[in-house]
Amino acid sequence: MAINNSNNHYDDLAIEVRELTKSYGKVRALRGINLQVQRGEIFGFLGPNGAGKTTTIRCMLDMIRPDSGKALLLGLDPQVEPVAVQARTGYLPGEMQYYDNLTSERQLHFFNDMRGGCAEWDYVHHLADRLSLDLKQPIKNLSKGNKQKVGVIQALMHRPELLLLDEPTSGLDPLMQQEVLGFLREANSTGTTIFFSSHIMSEVERLAERVAIIRSGEIVEVTDTVSLTHSAVNRITIRFKRPTDFNALFTIPGVEVLSQMDQTSVTLLVTGDMEMFVHSMSDLPVLDLETERPSLEEVFLNYYKK
Amino acid sequence: MKRLWTTFHYTFSNLRWQIIGWGLGLGLYGLMIIPMYETLGAQPERFQQMIASYPPEFLAFFGADINSPITPAGFLKMYAFSMLPVIVGIFAVISGSGLIVSDEEHGRLDLIIAHPVGRLPFFWGRFLGLLGAMVSIMILGWLGFSLMLGRSSIGFNWGQMAIPFITLLIQILVFATLALVLSMLLPSRNLSAMVSGAFLVISYIIPSLSFLDQRLDMISRVLPYRYFQSVLSFKELNLTWQFALLGSCLIMVVIAWLRFNQRDIRLSGEGSWRKR
Repeated sequence: MAINNSNNHYDDLAIEVRELTKSYGKVRALRGINLQVQRGEIFGFLGPNGAGKTTTIRCMLDMIRPDSGKALLLGLDPQVEPVAVQARTGYLPGEMQYYDNLTSERQLHFFNDMRGGCAEWDYVHHLADRLSLDLKQPIKNLSKGNKQKVGVIQALMHRPELLLLDEPTSGLDPLMQQEVLGFLREANSTGTTIFFSSHIMSEVERLAERVAIIRSGEIVEVTDTVSLTHSAVNRITIRFKRPTDFNALFTIPGVEVLSQMDQTSVTLLVTGDMEMFVHSMSDLPVLDLETERPSLEEVFLNYYKK
Repeated sequence: MKRLWTTFHYTFSNLRWQIIGWGLGLGLYGLMIIPMYETLGAQPERFQQMIASYPPEFLAFFGADINSPITPAGFLKMYAFSMLPVIVGIFAVISGSGLIVSDEEHGRLDLIIAHPVGRLPFFWGRFLGLLGAMVSIMILGWLGFSLMLGRSSIGFNWGQMAIPFITLLIQILVFATLALVLSMLLPSRNLSAMVSGAFLVISYIIPSLSFLDQRLDMISRVLPYRYFQSVLSFKELNLTWQFALLGSCLIMVVIAWLRFNQRDIRLSGEGSWRKR
């Protein structure tokens, strides 16, 4: 990715990651990651477990130090000014762990004190009410989903400029997932930049404006969510009037057979330009053709096959 | 400064039950041991007889001879203070090894350190919290040992009684900082607690045995307990030894801080021996 050197361009960036590498012993977790996230953007970071999503986020917050490369958040280097970066950032880790003997409220007071007491407590109660979370309950009595709610509140309660969320809806029921995604949209509407990792495609589809796909520590694609879901792959089911030899279709670049019942029906995954595929069907006795917009999941899996 | 204070405040608060438990235990021990001198002192012949019945090796183990337990200072050294570094050292080892790494191994440090605290105020806030807890335990212990002095013929005042607690504090500080630095260098808290706990016991046994076997004298010179002085006057206190021990504590804390500042914060379970 080319990096624009104009100052205005940098001012517009909430996150800029340049050639970030990180190894754990012999395991290369990040292999030269480049990312740019605009201020006010909702950015999804997709990848399966172990792809490097969490490592990237932890590098951004100076919890781990990269071997090389740099991450800039809100124009600041977290390795040089970690406190300034963390003061303006909200973070939700992938796995929330607390002091179990505290109540949710005491735990949130602890986090607030660690932030210098800048949270508005009315806002905390408002968030808790919307999430149906009883703040008086000891943490040890909470379910995984309720613990996640406490995590969401601590990330949002000081109204940060930038939110770094590692799988934000993990452990939440669908209703609460909607509520949390609603919070994030509301925060974004007031100017908060949101960078979130996920392996749940529907979540990214619903929330993100742009998305980066990471595979084995490398960014394989950065694009807007709509383009990704529309242009990358199409699932096509063709039914023929009579048994037909359609093997010629399989020789077209980017065409892959998903299922083939008999000689009258086939489902294909077509990657890239459809023109050649449509041309080659003109000689075939097509009865019906159904094109499905692929889910991001299929797009994602398609990338992983590459 | 506020960030350091916040961390100190939470660390100290979290250690409150340990302070109460260890401090009261130590204080109650003092409340019992001082009147015990009166009981034994009331029958000096029988006390002398009892001491004489001890094997000389046993007395030598405590650095005493047949006459020394009968004196107030000797009595306190043998019956009150000789074992305290190893007993309170257990608190020091457990607290020192878990000061930072306990939260890390439980997966909490990741989120805590993501708050705008800074590693420097966080580390020193925690360390000062532990130091505050150790000082508080010593104060409670000292109070327990001093409360009965007015009714005792042991002949020491509250100020004199504070001296062994100062040297005891330095002793446990050595083991706490050792456990802390090891927790930053070794892969798990359990391992650092095990190594520093073993050092605590060895540090007690070898100098004690060196009174019996001169060949152990060289080894005992590098062990902290050798320099534990349960004396009751500043004149007898070897300040060089005490400052050398404090210096070693400072070096270990600085190494631990540098290591903490440089290293990656682990996620829960990473590097631990615990089964997942």
